[in-house]
Amino acid sequence: MTPPSEVISPLAPAGADEGAPIGGLADDLARASLALARRFKAGGTMWCCSPTWPFHAHHIAVEFVHPVIMGKPALPAVVVPEGRDLVSTLRASVRSGDMVVAVAGGDEPAVAAAMRRGDAWGVETLWIGAGPRPPAGAAHHVLWLDQDDPLRASEQFVILYHLLWELTHVCWEHPGLLRPEVCTDEVCITCSDEGRPAEVISVQGDEAVVRTPDGRERIDTTIIDTPSPGDLVLVHAGSAITSLESGR
Amino acid sequence: MARTPEATDFLYPFIEREERDAAPLMADLARSAQAKWAQSAVLRAETLQQGDARLRAVATAMATCFAAGGRAFTFGNGGSATDADAFAQLCTRPPWGEQLPVRSLAFDQAVLTALSNDIGFEVVFSRQLEAYGRRGDIAIGFSTSGNSDNLLAGFAQARKRGMLTVGLAGYDGGRMGASEDVEHCLVVRSDSVHRVQESQAAVAHVLWAFVQSALGPAEQLTDPDQKVAS
Repeated sequence: MTPPSEVISPLAPAGADEGAPIGGLADDLARASLALARRFKAGGTMWCCSPTWPFHAHHIAVEFVHPVIMGKPALPAVVVPEGRDLVSTLRASVRSGDMVVAVAGGDEPAVAAAMRRGDAWGVETLWIGAGPRPPAGAAHHVLWLDQDDPLRASEQFVILYHLLWELTHVCWEHPGLLRPEVCTDEVCITCSDEGRPAEVISVQGDEAVVRTPDGRERIDTTIIDTPSPGDLVLVHAGSAITSLESGR
Repeated sequence: MARTPEATDFLYPFIEREERDAAPLMADLARSAQAKWAQSAVLRAETLQQGDARLRAVATAMATCFAAGGRAFTFGNGGSATDADAFAQLCTRPPWGEQLPVRSLAFDQAVLTALSNDIGFEVVFSRQLEAYGRRGDIAIGFSTSGNSDNLLAGFAQARKRGMLTVGLAGYDGGRMGASEDVEHCLVVRSDSVHRVQESQAAVAHVLWAFVQSALGPAEQLTDPDQKVAS
């Protein structure tokens, strides 16, 4: 790859994006921060990963574990061990109620596969990145930069997760907003058995044991192709009604 | 236990546990994020503009070391340790330009814990530099306060070994800014740890780009695995 025409590309002191309002991203940040504060308050652990830029994962974790402002509580944030299969490592590590934060490009397949499992594992997923966005719905929270320069993007990731930390702590001080959201709808998709994602743990004949946010369940798999461990399926009334994708 | 509503509660919408509507807080947080984003951008631009000549001079000195076969070692604590890792990764797996031999001393937990346990945390960088550093190599320390004992010990050891020493600090530069062991101290003038780190990331990137530029057009031996922008 050749240098950009301007060798000082990262300098660009008066670039159009510099002081520009970040618009919807600020709203996304606020919502993500409240979601993280709720999960932390309920005892969740935040798992941080960045396959391409592991230093970002380490930076996020240390911000939360050892806050720069004295008196702020230390919150449980952990770096996902590097160099191994991300989905497999997370599968073994996360518990329902946890959070997974990734800093990665929108085309990072391991991150996409991990985020897809968020609802089956019961974890809140947050994807920070720049450039082409991941597909809609790829994570519960997508904090995305409109930034094509990889170095500028890297700098702005730091600002993003500094703000994420700070806003999470502001939310932390609003206990009334941190209670679990209570479902009051008459017919609620979450509470009714309307097709919940689950991850296959093991298969025996026409039955499978699957992982859901509420624990293990034995389900019937008669009406789908025999799944394999690691597959995501949609479960309704004790049966797998469709396979969401192949696992690994 | 629910508290008894008081007539003045409307003055303190966030003070009690009855708060239910997140919308006002969300709006406040979004405004706050916008303002801090803008502050960070201003600090970055000021830092790079005011430091331009200094950064070019430091980059030239570093390029001279690299061209003569020198290596660089980066170090820092906490978030600054991740900055040290980031700079090493940028140099060894660049998006463009020449691959440069730069290694983070904040990376190897066996070495870090051995030194901390047997001697003390103040030697975790100096002892490594004693082992790895050679005349003509470069020591690059990242700090926000500029006051970390283990960084100052590292710089002292590096100078003793005839290495080029480059420090990144915040606030007024702290002890690093005043130390004769830090030949080049690049200071981001802010008293917010977060804003300092954000601009230090930019300083490191510009320093890297100037080093590449000072080394001149080399063969483009870029790591084929390097991912860019995506």
